[in-house]
Amino acid sequence: MHSIRIALTTGIAAALLVTAIGVAGAASAQDAAKADEGAIKYRQSLMESVGGDMASISNIMKYGLPLTGNLVVHAESLAAHAKLVSTAFERKVTAGQTDAEPAIWAKADEFKEKTKALETETAKLVEVAKTSDPAALGVQMKATGKACGGCHDNFRKPKEESFKRKGGGGE
Amino acid sequence: MKRARSAGIAALTAAIAALLAAASARAGDGAAQRGRAVLEAAGGCTCHSDVKGGGGPLAGGRAMKTPFGVFYSTNITPDPETGIGRWSDSEFVRAMREGLAPDGHAYFPVFPYPSFTGMGDEDVLAMKAYLFSLAPVRRENRPHDAWPPFSWRIAASAWRWMFFEPRRFAPDPARTPEWNRGAYLVAAVAHCGECHTPRTLPGALDRSRWLAGSKDGPEGELAPNLTPDADTGIGLWTKTDIAWFLQTGQLPDGDDTEGLMKEVIEHGYGHLPESDLQAIAAYLHSLPPVRNDALAEHEHGHEHGDESAE
Repeated sequence: MHSIRIALTTGIAAALLVTAIGVAGAASAQDAAKADEGAIKYRQSLMESVGGDMASISNIMKYGLPLTGNLVVHAESLAAHAKLVSTAFERKVTAGQTDAEPAIWAKADEFKEKTKALETETAKLVEVAKTSDPAALGVQMKATGKACGGCHDNFRKPKEESFKRKGGGGE
Repeated sequence: MKRARSAGIAALTAAIAALLAAASARAGDGAAQRGRAVLEAAGGCTCHSDVKGGGGPLAGGRAMKTPFGVFYSTNITPDPETGIGRWSDSEFVRAMREGLAPDGHAYFPVFPYPSFTGMGDEDVLAMKAYLFSLAPVRRENRPHDAWPPFSWRIAASAWRWMFFEPRRFAPDPARTPEWNRGAYLVAAVAHCGECHTPRTLPGALDRSRWLAGSKDGPEGELAPNLTPDADTGIGLWTKTDIAWFLQTGQLPDGDDTEGLMKEVIEHGYGHLPESDLQAIAAYLHSLPPVRNDALAEHEHGHEHGDESAE
Protein backbone atom coordinates (compact mmCIF):
# COMPACT_ATOMS: atom_id res chain seq x y z
CA MET A 1 0.00 0.00 0.00
CA HIS A 2 2.62 2.40 1.17
CA SER A 3 4.90 1.63 -1.69
CA ILE A 4 2.05 2.17 -4.13
CA ARG A 5 1.43 5.58 -2.63
CA ILE A 6 5.10 6.47 -2.95
CA ALA A 7 5.16 5.26 -6.49
CA LEU A 8 2.08 7.30 -7.32
CA THR A 9 3.45 10.44 -5.70
CA THR A 10 6.76 10.01 -7.40
CA GLY A 11 4.97 9.37 -10.67
CA ILE A 12 2.87 12.51 -10.37
CA ALA A 13 5.86 14.55 -9.33
CA ALA A 14 7.85 13.23 -12.25
CA ALA A 15 5.01 13.95 -14.63
CA LEU A 16 4.72 17.48 -13.28
CA LEU A 17 8.45 17.97 -13.63
CA VAL A 18 8.49 16.70 -17.18
CA THR A 19 5.59 19.01 -18.04
CA ALA A 20 7.36 21.92 -16.39
CA ILE A 21 10.56 21.23 -18.32
CA GLY A 22 8.51 20.84 -21.45
CA VAL A 23 6.79 24.17 -20.93
CA ALA A 24 10.08 25.85 -20.12
CA GLY A 25 11.67 24.21 -23.15
CA ALA A 26 8.84 25.30 -25.38
CA ALA A 27 9.08 28.78 -23.95
CA SER A 28 12.81 28.99 -24.59
CA ALA A 29 12.39 27.51 -28.06
CA GLN A 30 9.81 30.20 -28.67
CA ASP A 31 12.22 32.81 -27.37
CA ALA A 32 14.95 31.52 -29.65
CA ALA A 33 12.67 31.57 -32.66
CA LYS A 34 11.69 35.12 -31.87
CA ALA A 35 15.30 36.13 -31.44
CA ASP A 36 16.15 34.55 -34.80
CA GLU A 37 13.32 36.39 -36.44
CA GLY A 38 14.46 39.62 -34.84
CA ALA A 39 18.03 39.09 -36.04
CA ILE A 40 16.80 38.70 -39.61
CA LYS A 41 14.51 41.72 -39.40
CA TYR A 42 17.28 43.85 -37.94
CA ARG A 43 19.78 42.86 -40.63
CA GLN A 44 17.28 43.80 -43.28
CA SER A 45 16.39 47.16 -41.78
CA LEU A 46 20.07 47.94 -41.28
CA MET A 47 20.77 47.12 -44.94
CA GLU A 48 17.92 49.41 -45.90
CA SER A 49 19.54 52.22 -43.94
CA VAL A 50 22.80 51.61 -45.80
CA GLY A 51 21.02 51.42 -49.14
CA GLY A 52 18.97 54.51 -48.30
CA ASP A 53 22.05 56.66 -47.81
CA MET A 54 23.67 55.23 -50.93
CA ALA A 55 20.53 56.12 -52.88
CA SER A 56 20.37 59.62 -51.38
CA ILE A 57 23.97 60.39 -52.34
CA SER A 58 23.35 58.96 -55.81
CA ASN A 59 20.20 61.04 -56.22
CA ILE A 60 21.97 64.27 -55.26
CA MET A 61 24.72 63.45 -57.74
CA LYS A 62 22.76 62.08 -60.65
CA TYR A 63 20.17 64.85 -60.61
CA GLY A 64 22.70 67.54 -59.70
CA LEU A 65 20.52 68.63 -56.77
CA PRO A 66 21.46 71.81 -54.89
CA LEU A 67 21.80 69.75 -51.72
CA THR A 68 25.51 69.10 -51.77
CA GLY A 69 25.66 70.21 -48.13
CA ASN A 70 23.69 67.07 -47.28
CA LEU A 71 26.29 64.77 -48.77
CA VAL A 72 28.47 64.74 -45.66
CA VAL A 73 25.47 63.84 -43.49
CA HIS A 74 24.61 60.89 -45.71
CA ALA A 75 28.22 59.77 -45.90
CA GLU A 76 28.60 59.93 -42.12
CA SER A 77 25.37 58.05 -41.62
CA LEU A 78 26.54 55.45 -44.12
CA ALA A 79 29.88 55.05 -42.37
CA ALA A 80 28.21 54.76 -38.98
CA HIS A 81 25.81 52.11 -40.24
CA ALA A 82 28.60 50.25 -42.00
CA LYS A 83 30.24 49.71 -38.62
CA LEU A 84 27.12 47.92 -37.40
CA VAL A 85 27.03 45.39 -40.21
CA SER A 86 29.33 42.86 -38.56
CA THR A 87 27.37 43.06 -35.29
CA ALA A 88 24.12 42.36 -37.12
CA PHE A 89 25.48 38.98 -38.22
CA GLU A 90 26.85 37.83 -34.90
CA ARG A 91 23.84 35.61 -34.37
CA LYS A 92 23.84 32.76 -36.85
CA VAL A 93 20.43 32.50 -38.48
CA THR A 94 20.19 30.88 -41.87
CA ALA A 95 16.62 29.62 -41.93
CA GLY A 96 13.58 31.78 -42.48
CA GLN A 97 12.82 34.86 -44.53
CA THR A 98 16.44 35.73 -45.22
CA ASP A 99 18.87 36.03 -48.10
CA ALA A 100 21.91 35.61 -45.88
CA GLU A 101 24.15 32.80 -47.09
CA PRO A 102 25.42 30.24 -44.56
CA ALA A 103 28.90 31.11 -45.88
CA ILE A 104 28.78 34.19 -43.62
CA TRP A 105 29.45 31.88 -40.68
CA ALA A 106 31.27 29.12 -42.54
CA LYS A 107 33.81 31.61 -43.88
CA ALA A 108 33.69 34.04 -41.00
CA ASP A 109 37.17 35.44 -41.65
CA GLU A 110 36.40 36.27 -45.24
CA PHE A 111 33.11 37.85 -44.21
CA LYS A 112 34.90 39.95 -41.60
CA GLU A 113 37.33 41.12 -44.27
CA LYS A 114 34.45 42.22 -46.49
CA THR A 115 32.64 44.12 -43.77
CA LYS A 116 35.95 45.75 -42.87
CA ALA A 117 36.32 46.83 -46.50
CA LEU A 118 32.93 48.52 -46.34
CA GLU A 119 33.96 50.34 -43.17
CA THR A 120 37.17 51.50 -44.84
CA GLU A 121 35.52 52.70 -48.04
CA THR A 122 32.67 54.49 -46.25
CA ALA A 123 35.15 56.21 -43.92
CA LYS A 124 36.99 57.44 -47.03
CA LEU A 125 33.65 58.55 -48.46
CA VAL A 126 33.12 60.82 -45.44
CA GLU A 127 36.49 62.46 -46.01
CA VAL A 128 35.83 62.94 -49.70
CA ALA A 129 32.32 64.31 -49.04
CA LYS A 130 33.86 66.94 -46.75
CA THR A 131 36.08 68.25 -49.54
CA SER A 132 33.00 68.85 -51.74
CA ASP A 133 34.94 67.64 -54.75
CA PRO A 134 32.21 66.03 -56.86
CA ALA A 135 34.71 64.31 -59.12
CA ALA A 136 36.44 62.55 -56.25
CA LEU A 137 33.06 61.75 -54.74
CA GLY A 138 32.03 59.97 -57.93
CA VAL A 139 35.13 57.80 -57.78
CA GLN A 140 34.67 57.02 -54.09
CA MET A 141 30.99 56.18 -54.58
CA LYS A 142 32.03 53.63 -57.14
CA ALA A 143 34.56 52.18 -54.69
CA THR A 144 31.87 52.02 -52.02
CA GLY A 145 29.50 50.26 -54.39
CA LYS A 146 32.25 47.75 -55.07
CA ALA A 147 32.58 47.11 -51.35
CA CYS A 148 28.83 46.40 -51.16
CA GLY A 149 29.06 44.06 -54.13
CA GLY A 150 32.23 42.44 -52.84
CA CYS A 151 30.26 41.09 -49.91
CA HIS A 152 26.97 40.46 -51.71
CA ASP A 153 28.79 38.34 -54.28
CA ASN A 154 29.38 35.43 -51.95
CA PHE A 155 27.33 36.18 -48.89
CA ARG A 156 23.91 37.18 -50.19
CA LYS A 157 21.65 34.83 -52.10
CA PRO A 158 21.27 35.81 -55.75
CA LYS A 159 17.90 37.30 -56.66
CA GLU A 160 16.88 34.03 -58.29
CA GLU A 161 16.99 32.35 -54.89
CA SER A 162 15.66 35.21 -52.80
CA PHE A 163 13.26 34.28 -50.02
CA LYS A 164 10.98 37.00 -51.34
CA ARG A 165 10.18 34.74 -54.25
CA LYS A 166 10.21 31.41 -52.48
CA GLY A 167 7.52 32.69 -50.15
CA GLY A 168 5.41 33.66 -53.17
CA GLY A 169 4.47 37.30 -52.43
CA GLY A 170 7.13 39.39 -54.05
CA GLU A 171 8.00 42.79 -52.61
CA MET B 1 24.36 71.26 -59.42
CA LYS B 2 24.47 70.32 -63.07
CA ARG B 3 28.18 70.81 -62.69
CA ALA B 4 28.37 68.42 -59.79
CA ARG B 5 26.83 65.71 -61.86
CA SER B 6 28.89 66.15 -64.99
CA ALA B 7 32.02 66.50 -62.90
CA GLY B 8 31.16 63.25 -61.15
CA ILE B 9 30.72 61.59 -64.47
CA ALA B 10 33.95 63.14 -65.74
CA ALA B 11 35.76 61.75 -62.71
CA LEU B 12 34.42 58.28 -63.30
CA THR B 13 35.47 58.50 -66.90
CA ALA B 14 38.91 59.76 -65.90
CA ALA B 15 39.44 56.95 -63.41
CA ILE B 16 38.41 54.39 -65.98
CA ALA B 17 40.67 55.98 -68.56
CA ALA B 18 43.59 55.75 -66.16
CA LEU B 19 42.94 52.08 -65.57
CA LEU B 20 42.81 51.41 -69.26
CA ALA B 21 45.81 53.57 -70.13
CA ALA B 22 48.20 50.64 -70.11
CA ALA B 23 45.98 48.52 -72.28
CA SER B 24 45.35 51.32 -74.72
CA ALA B 25 49.03 52.06 -75.28
CA ARG B 26 48.95 49.57 -78.12
CA ALA B 27 45.64 50.83 -79.40
CA GLY B 28 47.09 53.99 -80.82
CA ASP B 29 45.35 54.42 -84.13
CA GLY B 30 41.93 55.90 -84.64
CA ALA B 31 40.02 52.81 -85.71
CA ALA B 32 41.31 50.86 -82.72
CA GLN B 33 40.34 53.69 -80.39
CA ARG B 34 36.86 53.80 -81.86
CA GLY B 35 36.76 50.05 -81.66
CA ARG B 36 37.40 50.11 -77.97
CA ALA B 37 34.31 52.26 -77.55
CA VAL B 38 32.32 49.80 -79.68
CA LEU B 39 33.59 46.88 -77.62
CA GLU B 40 32.57 48.70 -74.46
CA ALA B 41 29.14 49.34 -75.92
CA ALA B 42 29.00 45.57 -76.43
CA GLY B 43 29.49 45.10 -72.70
CA GLY B 44 33.22 44.60 -73.05
CA CYS B 45 32.67 41.18 -74.64
CA THR B 46 33.00 39.96 -71.07
CA CYS B 47 31.66 36.50 -71.89
CA HIS B 48 35.00 35.91 -73.64
CA SER B 49 36.88 36.56 -70.40
CA ASP B 50 37.16 33.63 -68.02
CA VAL B 51 37.73 35.62 -64.86
CA LYS B 52 37.03 32.80 -62.41
CA GLY B 53 39.04 30.28 -64.39
CA GLY B 54 42.07 32.55 -64.41
CA GLY B 55 42.01 33.04 -68.17
CA GLY B 56 43.26 36.30 -69.65
CA PRO B 57 40.86 39.00 -70.80
CA LEU B 58 39.08 38.01 -74.02
CA ALA B 59 41.04 34.75 -74.23
CA GLY B 60 37.84 32.67 -73.99
CA GLY B 61 37.07 29.53 -72.02
CA ARG B 62 34.30 30.96 -69.90
CA ALA B 63 31.49 28.50 -69.25
CA MET B 64 28.07 29.74 -70.33
CA LYS B 65 25.40 27.66 -68.67
CA THR B 66 22.30 27.47 -70.87
CA PRO B 67 19.21 25.24 -70.97
CA PHE B 68 20.94 23.38 -73.82
CA GLY B 69 24.14 22.60 -72.01
CA VAL B 70 27.37 24.36 -71.17
CA PHE B 71 29.07 26.33 -73.90
CA TYR B 72 32.60 27.71 -73.67
CA SER B 73 33.40 31.09 -75.15
CA THR B 74 36.26 31.37 -77.61
CA ASN B 75 39.61 33.13 -77.65
CA ILE B 76 39.16 36.45 -79.47
CA THR B 77 42.66 37.78 -78.87
CA PRO B 78 44.83 38.05 -82.01
CA ASP B 79 46.81 34.90 -81.29
CA PRO B 80 47.31 33.28 -84.72
CA GLU B 81 47.05 29.67 -83.45
CA THR B 82 44.37 29.73 -80.76
CA GLY B 83 42.71 33.12 -81.32
CA ILE B 84 41.50 35.14 -84.30
CA GLY B 85 44.89 36.46 -85.39
CA ARG B 86 44.62 35.03 -88.92
CA TRP B 87 41.12 36.26 -89.61
CA SER B 88 40.55 38.66 -92.48
CA ASP B 89 38.20 41.62 -92.23
CA SER B 90 35.53 39.84 -94.20
CA GLU B 91 35.82 36.71 -92.07
CA PHE B 92 35.38 38.78 -88.94
CA VAL B 93 32.38 40.62 -90.38
CA ARG B 94 30.80 37.35 -91.47
CA ALA B 95 31.29 35.80 -88.03
CA MET B 96 29.79 38.79 -86.26
CA ARG B 97 26.85 39.43 -88.55
CA GLU B 98 26.09 36.06 -90.02
CA GLY B 99 27.22 33.62 -87.37
CA LEU B 100 29.61 31.69 -89.62
CA ALA B 101 33.17 30.75 -88.69
CA PRO B 102 35.97 31.21 -91.26
CA ASP B 103 35.71 27.47 -92.10
CA GLY B 104 32.00 27.94 -92.80
CA HIS B 105 30.47 26.17 -89.81
CA ALA B 106 27.66 27.92 -87.99
CA TYR B 107 28.03 29.16 -84.45
CA PHE B 108 25.60 28.20 -81.75
CA PRO B 109 23.41 31.21 -80.96
CA VAL B 110 24.97 31.44 -77.53
CA PHE B 111 27.23 33.75 -79.53
CA PRO B 112 24.85 36.67 -80.06
CA TYR B 113 25.24 37.08 -83.80
CA PRO B 114 21.46 37.40 -84.19
CA SER B 115 21.91 40.77 -82.43
CA PHE B 116 25.27 41.74 -83.94
CA THR B 117 23.74 41.28 -87.39
CA GLY B 118 22.33 44.76 -86.90
CA MET B 119 25.76 46.38 -86.54
CA GLY B 120 27.15 48.77 -89.11
CA ASP B 121 30.32 47.99 -91.12
CA GLU B 122 32.30 50.73 -89.49
CA ASP B 123 31.55 49.54 -85.96
CA VAL B 124 32.34 45.91 -86.70
CA LEU B 125 35.64 46.73 -88.37
CA ALA B 126 36.62 49.19 -85.65
CA MET B 127 35.99 46.45 -83.12
CA LYS B 128 38.28 44.13 -85.05
CA ALA B 129 40.96 46.83 -85.23
CA TYR B 130 40.80 47.19 -81.47
CA LEU B 131 40.93 43.44 -80.81
CA PHE B 132 43.92 43.16 -83.13
CA SER B 133 45.70 45.95 -81.22
CA LEU B 134 45.65 43.86 -78.04
CA ALA B 135 48.32 41.44 -76.92
CA PRO B 136 47.69 37.93 -78.25
CA VAL B 137 47.00 35.30 -75.59
CA ARG B 138 47.67 31.67 -76.33
CA ARG B 139 44.77 29.64 -75.03
CA GLU B 140 43.14 26.72 -76.79
CA ASN B 141 39.39 26.82 -77.23
CA ARG B 142 37.48 24.29 -75.21
CA PRO B 143 34.83 22.10 -76.86
CA HIS B 144 31.25 22.74 -75.81
CA ASP B 145 29.52 20.50 -73.36
CA ALA B 146 26.00 20.53 -74.76
CA TRP B 147 23.43 17.78 -74.72
CA PRO B 148 22.50 15.98 -77.93
CA PRO B 149 21.18 17.05 -80.34
CA PHE B 150 22.51 20.48 -79.37
CA SER B 151 25.99 19.09 -79.20
CA TRP B 152 25.92 18.33 -82.91
CA ARG B 153 27.44 20.91 -85.16
CA ILE B 154 24.65 20.37 -87.66
CA ALA B 155 22.21 21.57 -84.99
CA ALA B 156 23.79 25.02 -85.10
CA SER B 157 23.40 25.12 -88.88
CA ALA B 158 19.81 23.93 -88.68
CA TRP B 159 19.01 26.48 -86.01
CA ARG B 160 20.58 29.23 -88.06
CA TRP B 161 18.67 28.19 -91.14
CA MET B 162 15.37 28.11 -89.25
CA PHE B 163 15.63 31.14 -87.01
CA PHE B 164 18.17 33.57 -88.40
CA GLU B 165 17.98 36.22 -91.01
CA PRO B 166 20.77 38.76 -91.46
CA ARG B 167 19.32 42.23 -91.03
CA ARG B 168 21.18 45.51 -90.64
CA PHE B 169 19.67 48.00 -88.21
CA ALA B 170 17.41 50.43 -90.07
CA PRO B 171 16.72 53.76 -88.35
CA ASP B 172 13.08 54.74 -87.99
CA PRO B 173 12.74 58.16 -89.67
CA ALA B 174 9.65 58.90 -87.58
CA ARG B 175 11.75 58.81 -84.41
CA THR B 176 14.39 61.15 -83.03
CA PRO B 177 18.11 60.53 -83.65
CA GLU B 178 18.47 59.89 -79.92
CA TRP B 179 15.81 57.16 -79.99
CA ASN B 180 17.41 55.57 -83.04
CA ARG B 181 20.81 55.61 -81.41
CA GLY B 182 19.31 53.95 -78.33
CA ALA B 183 17.49 51.37 -80.42
CA TYR B 184 20.68 50.56 -82.35
CA LEU B 185 22.71 50.16 -79.17
CA VAL B 186 20.12 48.08 -77.32
CA ALA B 187 19.16 45.79 -80.20
CA ALA B 188 22.49 45.39 -81.98
CA VAL B 189 25.73 46.39 -80.26
CA ALA B 190 24.85 46.09 -76.57
CA HIS B 191 22.77 42.98 -77.41
CA CYS B 192 20.52 43.51 -74.35
CA GLY B 193 17.83 41.26 -75.79
CA GLU B 194 20.07 38.21 -75.72
CA CYS B 195 19.67 37.94 -71.96
CA HIS B 196 16.63 40.10 -71.26
CA THR B 197 14.21 38.67 -73.85
CA PRO B 198 12.56 35.33 -73.08
CA ARG B 199 13.34 32.54 -75.50
CA THR B 200 11.08 30.09 -77.26
CA LEU B 201 11.54 26.37 -76.80
CA PRO B 202 14.17 26.05 -79.55
CA GLY B 203 16.10 28.95 -78.04
CA ALA B 204 15.11 31.77 -80.39
CA LEU B 205 14.25 35.17 -78.95
CA ASP B 206 10.51 35.58 -78.37
CA ARG B 207 10.26 39.00 -79.99
CA SER B 208 6.62 39.37 -78.99
CA ARG B 209 7.98 39.78 -75.47
CA TRP B 210 10.98 41.95 -76.43
CA LEU B 211 13.12 42.75 -73.35
CA ALA B 212 10.42 41.46 -71.00
CA GLY B 213 12.93 39.53 -68.90
CA SER B 214 14.09 35.94 -68.89
CA LYS B 215 14.60 33.27 -66.31
CA ASP B 216 17.22 31.63 -68.51
CA GLY B 217 19.88 34.28 -68.57
CA PRO B 218 23.47 33.19 -69.10
CA GLU B 219 25.16 31.27 -66.30
CA GLY B 220 21.73 30.38 -64.95
CA GLU B 221 21.07 33.95 -63.93
CA LEU B 222 17.81 35.75 -64.11
CA ALA B 223 17.60 38.73 -66.42
CA PRO B 224 14.98 41.25 -65.26
CA ASN B 225 12.18 42.75 -67.32
CA LEU B 226 13.41 46.00 -68.95
CA THR B 227 10.07 47.19 -70.28
CA PRO B 228 8.32 50.06 -68.49
CA ASP B 229 5.76 47.85 -66.75
CA ALA B 230 5.35 49.33 -63.27
CA ASP B 231 4.95 46.02 -61.43
CA THR B 232 7.26 43.59 -63.16
CA GLY B 233 9.51 45.87 -65.24
CA ILE B 234 11.39 49.10 -64.65
CA GLY B 235 8.40 51.40 -65.07
CA LEU B 236 9.28 53.24 -61.89
CA TRP B 237 12.83 54.02 -63.03
CA THR B 238 13.46 57.47 -64.48
CA LYS B 239 15.72 57.89 -67.48
CA THR B 240 18.29 59.32 -65.10
CA ASP B 241 18.02 56.16 -62.98
CA ILE B 242 18.68 54.01 -66.04
CA ALA B 243 21.67 56.05 -67.19
CA TRP B 244 23.16 56.13 -63.68
CA PHE B 245 22.65 52.41 -63.25
CA LEU B 246 24.41 51.61 -66.52
CA GLN B 247 27.25 53.87 -65.48
CA THR B 248 27.71 52.75 -61.87
CA GLY B 249 25.82 49.49 -61.36
CA GLN B 250 23.82 51.16 -58.61
CA LEU B 251 20.08 50.57 -58.51
CA PRO B 252 17.61 53.34 -57.65
CA ASP B 253 17.11 51.93 -54.14
CA GLY B 254 20.83 52.13 -53.38
CA ASP B 255 21.48 48.41 -53.90
CA ASP B 256 24.19 47.16 -56.23
CA THR B 257 23.84 44.76 -59.14
CA GLU B 258 25.50 41.35 -59.20
CA GLY B 259 26.61 38.68 -61.58
CA LEU B 260 27.21 39.16 -65.27
CA MET B 261 25.48 42.57 -65.28
CA LYS B 262 28.05 43.87 -62.85
CA GLU B 263 30.83 42.69 -65.15
CA VAL B 264 29.39 44.11 -68.36
CA ILE B 265 28.95 47.47 -66.63
CA GLU B 266 32.48 47.42 -65.27
CA HIS B 267 34.12 46.43 -68.54
CA GLY B 268 31.59 47.89 -70.92
CA TYR B 269 28.46 49.96 -70.48
CA GLY B 270 29.94 51.99 -67.62
CA HIS B 271 32.34 53.56 -70.11
CA LEU B 272 29.67 54.74 -72.55
CA PRO B 273 29.36 58.46 -73.17
CA GLU B 274 26.51 60.19 -71.36
CA SER B 275 24.67 60.76 -74.65
CA ASP B 276 24.60 57.01 -75.36
CA LEU B 277 23.34 56.22 -71.86
CA GLN B 278 20.56 58.78 -72.29
CA ALA B 279 19.74 57.32 -75.69
CA ILE B 280 19.41 53.83 -74.23
CA ALA B 281 17.19 55.21 -71.46
CA ALA B 282 15.00 57.06 -73.96
CA TYR B 283 14.60 53.92 -76.05
CA LEU B 284 13.76 51.70 -73.07
CA HIS B 285 11.20 54.23 -71.88
CA SER B 286 9.51 54.13 -75.27
CA LEU B 287 8.93 50.37 -75.22
CA PRO B 288 5.45 48.97 -74.74
CA PRO B 289 5.17 47.73 -71.16
CA VAL B 290 4.99 43.95 -70.97
CA ARG B 291 3.77 42.28 -67.83
CA ASN B 292 6.17 39.44 -67.19
CA ASP B 293 7.46 38.49 -63.78
CA ALA B 294 10.65 36.71 -64.72
CA LEU B 295 11.38 36.03 -61.07
CA ALA B 296 8.11 34.23 -60.54
CA GLU B 297 8.65 32.32 -63.74
CA HIS B 298 12.06 31.28 -62.50
CA GLU B 299 10.57 30.02 -59.27
CA HIS B 300 7.95 28.10 -61.21
CA GLY B 301 10.68 26.39 -63.20
CA HIS B 302 12.38 25.35 -60.01
CA GLU B 303 9.31 23.70 -58.57
CA HIS B 304 9.31 21.32 -61.47
CA GLY B 305 12.99 21.07 -61.84
CA ASP B 306 16.25 20.43 -60.19
CA GLU B 307 16.03 21.40 -56.59
CA SER B 308 18.81 19.03 -55.78
CA ALA B 309 21.06 20.83 -58.17
CA GLU B 310 20.92 24.02 -56.15
